[in-house]
Amino acid sequence: MAKVLKLNKGAEQCLLELLRFLLESGKVKGVFTLSKVGESGAVAYSLITDPAALEAALPLFPLMPVDAAKVLSRLTLVEPSAEPIAAVVRPCELRALTELIKRSQGSLDNLLLISSTCGGVYPLKTGVNGNISEKLPGYWEAVKKGEIAADIRPACAACEHFVPYNADITLALIGNKDVDKQCLIQLNTDKAEQFADGLAGELGQGEAKSEVIDSLRAKRQARKQELLDEFGVEDSDVQKVFEKCIVCRNCNKVCPVCYCKVCFFDSGGDEHDQRYYETEMEKKGYATVLPAPIFYQLVRLFHVSISCIGCGLCGDVCPVDIPLWAVALKTGGAVQNAFDYLPGRDLDEGLPVTTFKPEEFAATVD
Amino acid sequence: MAPDDKGALFPAEGGVRERVIAFLQKAISQGCFDAVLIPARAPGTDSLTYSLIGAEQLLENAYPLPPVMPVQGAKAISSLTRTGKGKKKIAALIRPCELRATVELFKLGQVNLDNIWLISIDCPGALPLAEWARDPKKAEDAFAEILKEGPNEDIRPICQICDKFSTTGAEDLHIGVPAGKASGILLIPNSLKGEAILECLGITAGEDLSGWRERVDKLTGARVEKKRQAQQELEAKSKGLDKLLDTFSQCINCHNCMRVCPICYCRQCFFDSDNMQFLFEDYLRRAEAASGLRLPPDTLLFHIGRMLHMSLSCVSCGACEDACPTAIPVAQVFSLVGNRNQEAFDYVPGRSRDEPPPLRVYQEEEFEEVEQSHAAVPAKQEARDG
Repeated sequence: MAKVLKLNKGAEQCLLELLRFLLESGKVKGVFTLSKVGESGAVAYSLITDPAALEAALPLFPLMPVDAAKVLSRLTLVEPSAEPIAAVVRPCELRALTELIKRSQGSLDNLLLISSTCGGVYPLKTGVNGNISEKLPGYWEAVKKGEIAADIRPACAACEHFVPYNADITLALIGNKDVDKQCLIQLNTDKAEQFADGLAGELGQGEAKSEVIDSLRAKRQARKQELLDEFGVEDSDVQKVFEKCIVCRNCNKVCPVCYCKVCFFDSGGDEHDQRYYETEMEKKGYATVLPAPIFYQLVRLFHVSISCIGCGLCGDVCPVDIPLWAVALKTGGAVQNAFDYLPGRDLDEGLPVTTFKPEEFAATVD
Repeated sequence: MAPDDKGALFPAEGGVRERVIAFLQKAISQGCFDAVLIPARAPGTDSLTYSLIGAEQLLENAYPLPPVMPVQGAKAISSLTRTGKGKKKIAALIRPCELRATVELFKLGQVNLDNIWLISIDCPGALPLAEWARDPKKAEDAFAEILKEGPNEDIRPICQICDKFSTTGAEDLHIGVPAGKASGILLIPNSLKGEAILECLGITAGEDLSGWRERVDKLTGARVEKKRQAQQELEAKSKGLDKLLDTFSQCINCHNCMRVCPICYCRQCFFDSDNMQFLFEDYLRRAEAASGLRLPPDTLLFHIGRMLHMSLSCVSCGACEDACPTAIPVAQVFSLVGNRNQEAFDYVPGRSRDEPPPLRVYQEEEFEEVEQSHAAVPAKQEARDG
């Protein structure tokens, strides 16, 4: 049981109140949150240091323009933050951050991690067209009832890990039928209790566990199977799945787990000279030029599957709409099951590829 | 341009695609070249990839003018030849903008054209990549219509204002598509290599090109005007820092425009390098100075930096816009800026292999007005300080 602070405010207002309190009291020096930028309706992550600027913050806006883990890694890669910062991130982003930290790609020092039970986000394209606002009432209705909101990204509709792991503070949204007038701030760690100390509210006990959450998990698991069937990743041959791939590699660029500064495919490692192509052509009558989509996609899956947290950004940015999120879910799921590993669950859970066990996969070894 | 404005008529029947394939097959069978680099479709799939095809019958899978531009052809030629030439004579059949980008990469030392015959073709434009991705069959039907009837409003915005859709000057051979129901294709040599192809095929450049040229000129004129208007409107919408910030406000900093750009050839982009890696402290101070900092930071700086690096060579091919996940009109903005910069240097990227990139040329006397405006800065500074 964790301590829970109850505020009589809608979820977004409540979170803003917490952030404002943290900034004004000087407990944090900055707040990392989604925020409106400029006048054109764009929403992006921002580092906000002035309480007044929180006016524009939209911490629960259902859009993922970039993976927060990627940004937080970039911010803390050289050295940790010297001053306390509150970061509002989604459960999958938090899992990605955990995976990055395991790989020494950043630091959690001085970060107060705030997350929530997550109703999912809309496709990037819905955000660009400015159509999210009109969907918000339906979205929050679904969150209250623990249903899958219409038109959210398939990766979100299929996500079963919508209760955050490793958050200092969890905002209980799913199944909170009073989400527009009352909010529950769950303080999971001592750090959270210290930071929230002084924030006016009714203190009680609780945990982000409920029948509604269990039932939403079941719904999403069922949807996951439906979606995987619908996209046919299950039995399609890879040739077909990746047939439209133009090897722009934007999936790798936005992937929070693909952190290499120079990707193998930028290294020259996959390049050939003209003689090679000519020899290939002589064998088959033709040779395809440029890195082959299948080769690229398989190498990428090979590199990231074990840590893929299913955030879905890869599919969101694909210029030819390959259901990459489905491929990632399928492959990631299989690899993670084989190692009994859930990425982003626990910072102390070692990465399977860096953990040596003398006895494992005997069948494969034989 | 051929000196006496003559080309050869290669007789062939069928649609443009069939006629061009017939030409390539004949040329391969006669040994005019050994292989063709051309977009082709793997049978039974929708994939369109640049392929090196040596077998005559496999050219049946080729798409001399695919409905979309999945990969910029200059990138394919660079992949093939960057590390040096091969033994075979290869004809690369590409769109005019791809050819122009190839010529720019040639000047930048990123392709080797020793054993490459550059062949371009009258281009009716390309459909947006997203349309094709949604329904390849439908896109192909729509494009077949365009090949038959000429460009319409379905082609990409950047193609609709393209005024360099035909012979651009730096190709070895250009394929002109005659009007309407005429059969055959026009082979217009533009170099000794191009003339050698005609010689090898045993045909002479005896065909008068004036009818074809007139049509090209007419559409060029219309496009120049359309481009002028479109750019004027775009300029009104995007000029100045505030409007530029608005134009790029949905940018997620994925750099995909850079990765698909044929001209952006750096193995490691400055904006992906450690030069753009700062301490948390630095980000925090920047946030404090402006009461908030958008993250990832410097999205507009990236675009301006990229413009600065490549706009003199920008051929307005539209690959960037096709690849943008947030539908920013990147190609249109870059084309506008590129055109202005190119005009200032009287430079047309891809026009000639011998024309050096402006930044490589030192002229003692140029841009005096710019020089003077800078010379005036210290004086102003003094006045302010004083």
